[in-house]
Amino acid sequence: MQISFQHVSYIYNEGTPYEYQALNDVNLDIQEGKITAIIGQTGSGKSTLVQHLNALLLPKTGEIHILDRVIKASENPKQLKALRGDVGLVFQFPEYQLFEETVLKDVAFGPKNFNVSEKDAIKRAKEALQMVGIKEDSYEKSPLELSGGQKRRVAIAGILAMDPKVLVLDEPTAGLDPVGTKEMMQLFKKLNSDYNKTILIVTHDMEQVFKYCDNVVVMQDGSVKVHTSVDEFFRDAESCEELNILPPAVIRMKKMLNENGFHIEGEIKDITALAKAIAKEVKHG
Amino acid sequence: MGNITLGRYIPMDSPIHRMDPRAKIIAMLFVLIAIFFRAGWIGYGVIFVAVSIVIILAKLKPSFIWRAMKPMLFMLTFLLIINALVIKTGNVLFTIGSFSLYSDAVLSTLYIAVRLLLMIMITTCLTATTKPLDMTLGIEDLLKPFTKIKVPAHEIAMLISIALRFIPDLIEETQRIMKAQESRGVDLKEGKLKEKIMAILSLIVPLFVSAFQRAEDLANAMEARGYAPGEKRTRYRILKMHGRDYLLMFGALCILIGMIGIAKFL
Repeated sequence: MQISFQHVSYIYNEGTPYEYQALNDVNLDIQEGKITAIIGQTGSGKSTLVQHLNALLLPKTGEIHILDRVIKASENPKQLKALRGDVGLVFQFPEYQLFEETVLKDVAFGPKNFNVSEKDAIKRAKEALQMVGIKEDSYEKSPLELSGGQKRRVAIAGILAMDPKVLVLDEPTAGLDPVGTKEMMQLFKKLNSDYNKTILIVTHDMEQVFKYCDNVVVMQDGSVKVHTSVDEFFRDAESCEELNILPPAVIRMKKMLNENGFHIEGEIKDITALAKAIAKEVKHG
Repeated sequence: MGNITLGRYIPMDSPIHRMDPRAKIIAMLFVLIAIFFRAGWIGYGVIFVAVSIVIILAKLKPSFIWRAMKPMLFMLTFLLIINALVIKTGNVLFTIGSFSLYSDAVLSTLYIAVRLLLMIMITTCLTATTKPLDMTLGIEDLLKPFTKIKVPAHEIAMLISIALRFIPDLIEETQRIMKAQESRGVDLKEGKLKEKIMAILSLIVPLFVSAFQRAEDLANAMEARGYAPGEKRTRYRILKMHGRDYLLMFGALCILIGMIGIAKFL
């Protein structure tokens, strides 16, 4: 196990009238080399949870083991700085973090902070920009000139250029168009399969969870409600609905078919598999 | 950043919270003016007791007031140092080498410290018990007589309310950008001068970009809903003074007159 939360609690504004317990005794083991989705309603503690991964927030109680490091309340954040290079955290709407004069400089900013030489930083920046699909003629543009979707890619490239072992993304596709969303998710899938990066994605989109992720963590009121594999999680629509989660369209379709006399068993991963299963049923039926 | 208390509204149900904002603003002005008279320790004692009663009635915690004052401590230390170097009257308290500390230096610093403390207590009383929106309604009403001499009362009130409205948003935005840049290895506390400048730049540029973006969005949203600054507008909430509001203003006025009396005749 590479990442593990042990009895982690976090309270915002402790000791003020605005006190709010965001995490409540979280115990969680996240598998190395997989894509894990973190889902749950607004205010369930997803964003708080992921901010513990690179020690932006230190737990009030409990500890987090990540990449042979321990994060706990008494830890000095200074010693944890190196951790930020190993755990890349992409915030919601990361395009707001762009500030440099040119796209290339902005992407190279991250690695430079971790004492990578100027030359190597530029090299890494170019690789990262290529990965996210930003063309070379944009390298010298101001990041503020780009379109929304391109800004997002540049911001994500800024984290990728740090070459983190673990990549954490807080709603990376919010506000992107369907094509942009698909490309983005395929990029994360590729980073996972080709570069063996452990990826955590906070998302509201069940289709994404179903299609791209390996494991799923459901947060509710600051605690981990469910932690299982995606296949297990979406096996039947009922358990999703119990958690107030709308299952992916394919699963809903499967459920409706079964309610109306079909007998589709086993895992259905996508629409093609469903079509085949229906064809089989019809032939035999 | 998260524990900024100066000027923050604390939602609570108390007699002070329910008072008319106009009465509270006027009372605050009276007492603030009263502080500027050299009324001596007795005078400040009276004001302190009066303000403390208001704080207790408003159910504010002393720790909250204390936190609001903390940022001023640095300023006061600075002041003490300057006073110690400049003021050379009164008794010598002690001498180190060629430097001697005079009692007047300490006294005059204390004097300013007490005034500052009282001012912060009073303004915190107002801001912590009055919703920002009520505050601007009150300011607008109080400025209304001045529209005769071309003071744009409504515009000023709108300006203040928009500014107040965006303070928490901007603080939140700052924290968000700080976290995002920290995730990229920015160290806002340590580092060489060049790194520090870079770190601050990485904070300020995005903050400006998003502030202008917000301003533009807000302007568009207001225009889309037909907002025109010069027009006559009706109001959903009408402020009304009650007995207790007059009592508060009267009490504050008494303090002001009392202080003038002490300063003039004692």
